[in-house]
Amino acid sequence: MTPDTAGPQPETEPGIATAEGGLVFLEGPDGVAATMTADAAARTGQNLIDAAAVAATQRASDED
Amino acid sequence: MFTERFLRDKRGASLTAEERARIEGAIGEVKTIAPRKIIARAGEPLHQSTLLIEGVMSRYLDDRQGLRQLVAIHLPGDFLDLHAFPLKVLDHDVATLTSATVATIPHAELEAITQDMPELTRKLWFATLLDAAIHRAWLFRLGRLDATGRIAHFLCETNARLFSAGLSDGRRFALALTQADLAEICGLTTVHVNRVMRQLREEGLCSFRASLVEIPDPVALAARGEFDPAYLYMETIPDFLSNVKRSRS
Repeated sequence: MTPDTAGPQPETEPGIATAEGGLVFLEGPDGVAATMTADAAARTGQNLIDAAAVAATQRASDED
Repeated sequence: MFTERFLRDKRGASLTAEERARIEGAIGEVKTIAPRKIIARAGEPLHQSTLLIEGVMSRYLDDRQGLRQLVAIHLPGDFLDLHAFPLKVLDHDVATLTSATVATIPHAELEAITQDMPELTRKLWFATLLDAAIHRAWLFRLGRLDATGRIAHFLCETNARLFSAGLSDGRRFALALTQADLAEICGLTTVHVNRVMRQLREEGLCSFRASLVEIPDPVALAARGEFDPAYLYMETIPDFLSNVKRSRS
């Protein structure tokens, strides 16, 4: 049996995105390290915003 | 002597003169292989194992798109496919990264060693267990570290391994890898590697130019990469790594 740990937890700090040489570098959260084209980064960002809005709704309904 | 670097500086596993002579006598062939050549393919029956004398080699897996993940690199002194002796086939390809000089040892000779020399057999087992320890560190690196940490950890590990082999002074060593190689080792894009290397250089932690790695502050680089050399089972921890330990905050 492994020692009791909390295991990976949802990240509470955002990843850091920077632009350089026409590409977007996403560092974090945690071990995330991705390089994206501008278009892929924009669509990923929109996907995250959309999913975050749904997740916020789910949390609100769970708390009711 | 072809076995000079094999298990050099490894805790409790250094070869005796008799053991070294036995392995030297078991060598079937010594040859130099050009860079970027495959020497063993996954699934092919193998009847010999390979001791790397000079150069750098890799183990790798390709995904369905043909994109490559290096799952190990081997440095001079590594008995790199000793695993194939009991397994008879490998589950990955093995290739040279640089020009490499290797000695091949027929499995029949290894079989004879296991029957005649139990202590040497234990040391050969140690060598494969050391590979497994390095694989665990590579899993940790890819699973827990950010881009800078991954590169820092890899360069610290390579520095320590080459120090054990007598090929680094602890702050400076030759490494003829490309940024594409580092990308395939660390699960990053080449542009990401380029960016990280520039950051490390600007922070004074490491420079990597013209196949020469220089590490002005090994302890600081180790801290950045959460590198702890314990898994390399070095006989003596050198001064430049004496204050290095991965600690929990």
